[in-house]
Amino acid sequence: MHEWFQKVSVMFEAAFITGDRWKLYLNGLGVTLEIAFFAAILGMVIGTLLAFMKLSVRRNGKKSILVVLANVYIDVIRGTPSVLQLMIMWFIIMANSKNGVLVAILSFGINSGAYVAEIVRAGILAVDNGQMEAGRSLGLSKVQTMIYIIIPQAVKNVLPPIGNEFIVLLKETAIVGYVSLTDLTRVANQIASRTYEAFMPLIGAAVIYFIVIKILTILLAKFERRLRKSDNR
Amino acid sequence: MITVKDLHKKFEDNHVLRGVNYHVHQGEKVVVIGPSGSGKSTFLRCMNLLETPTSGEIWVDGVNITDSKTDIDKVRQHLGMVFQNFNLFNNLTIMNNITLAPAKLGLMSKEEASENALKLLERVGLTEKADAYPSQLSGGQKQRVAIVRSLAMNPRVMLFDEPTSALDPEMVGEVLDVMKGLADSGMTMVVVTHEMGFAREVGTKVLFMDEGVIMEENTPQEFFNNPKSPRLKEFLSKVL
Repeated sequence: MHEWFQKVSVMFEAAFITGDRWKLYLNGLGVTLEIAFFAAILGMVIGTLLAFMKLSVRRNGKKSILVVLANVYIDVIRGTPSVLQLMIMWFIIMANSKNGVLVAILSFGINSGAYVAEIVRAGILAVDNGQMEAGRSLGLSKVQTMIYIIIPQAVKNVLPPIGNEFIVLLKETAIVGYVSLTDLTRVANQIASRTYEAFMPLIGAAVIYFIVIKILTILLAKFERRLRKSDNR
Repeated sequence: MITVKDLHKKFEDNHVLRGVNYHVHQGEKVVVIGPSGSGKSTFLRCMNLLETPTSGEIWVDGVNITDSKTDIDKVRQHLGMVFQNFNLFNNLTIMNNITLAPAKLGLMSKEEASENALKLLERVGLTEKADAYPSQLSGGQKQRVAIVRSLAMNPRVMLFDEPTSALDPEMVGEVLDVMKGLADSGMTMVVVTHEMGFAREVGTKVLFMDEGVIMEENTPQEFFNNPKSPRLKEFLSKVL
């Protein structure tokens, strides 16, 4: 028992303490969070824009050019692996950029936008059509009804799947190691190869991801409860 | 007040309205009855352009609303509409349901709108529900609020699309009472309904719609006691 404990503590020391390695994890986590946070915001903006483009059906029921453009965007992004998208962004489109984090933010934001678009669109469509009819019949314009009635209700519908998308996005950033950015996953991998001991760094990184996502989940649940106050019966 | 000329409406291959002509005069209470699928709801929904007519014209207060240059939002401010499924705004309190349109459209200040809303709520006995959300109300209460919400815009005409069809039987009365009160106050009303008692008692004109046309129109007295077309006789024998 004593021997086992000693072995573990040596492993722990090598993985986290020696040479202030814990700082490396924190730096890695910082990169992970920075990319995920700004990519999520970019994804929300792009996704909302795409959703409204897709909903912009003309009066005569024909698809407008906006619908076609949004569909092409969503098809292309969802139809290709995000690792490839990241590498294309890094090695081809923005090959001259020195700011790797920025490239990653753009790549993940553009990727997330395609998924968010469908989430937002579904959230708006899930609001009963009668709400729009009631607004219009009172003389409110389509835009006014959207702002005061439809979107507040759509936000509630959208929150659970959006939370899901944030979580997926946060974990997806673990692939930035492919373009030599040092995020949490890469830090763990580097330390493992330096200490010849994979267990502690990898499990350690996993625990850190888990804790971050758990906190995010709790925050989202809190927010959702607050929005649901008009639903209590 | 409202003139409908040769109104046609097709939903893809389904020809729902096949040439409807009618004129609603100021102060009239027009009750529209007919079997389901006869086009009576579509007829009503065309009057405020919730459905776009395939052809024909609709004039409201001398304005051709089927003209694409007409600002329909302006016209709708004077056309109250009450729906079968209430369609209260689920994200707003009862008070805000009522004050949203008058305040946002700049017809009155928020304070005036609230004051007006309280007066109207008092009229239907729901003052204590002002801060509740729609999900906390019964069907009958929701529909009374929906009527009040339309009245807050000071409409010149009120359109009712089967206002009691989604209600539990015991709640139908409270909604009809509010509608009767409204009729007594001189409001011009067009009511699509299955409530024959209401048609007889409150209506000044009763229309029978079938297969996309107005088959018969008459005073309630004549309409119910002396139906002319065989189709109406058959319909009345089933529902009365």
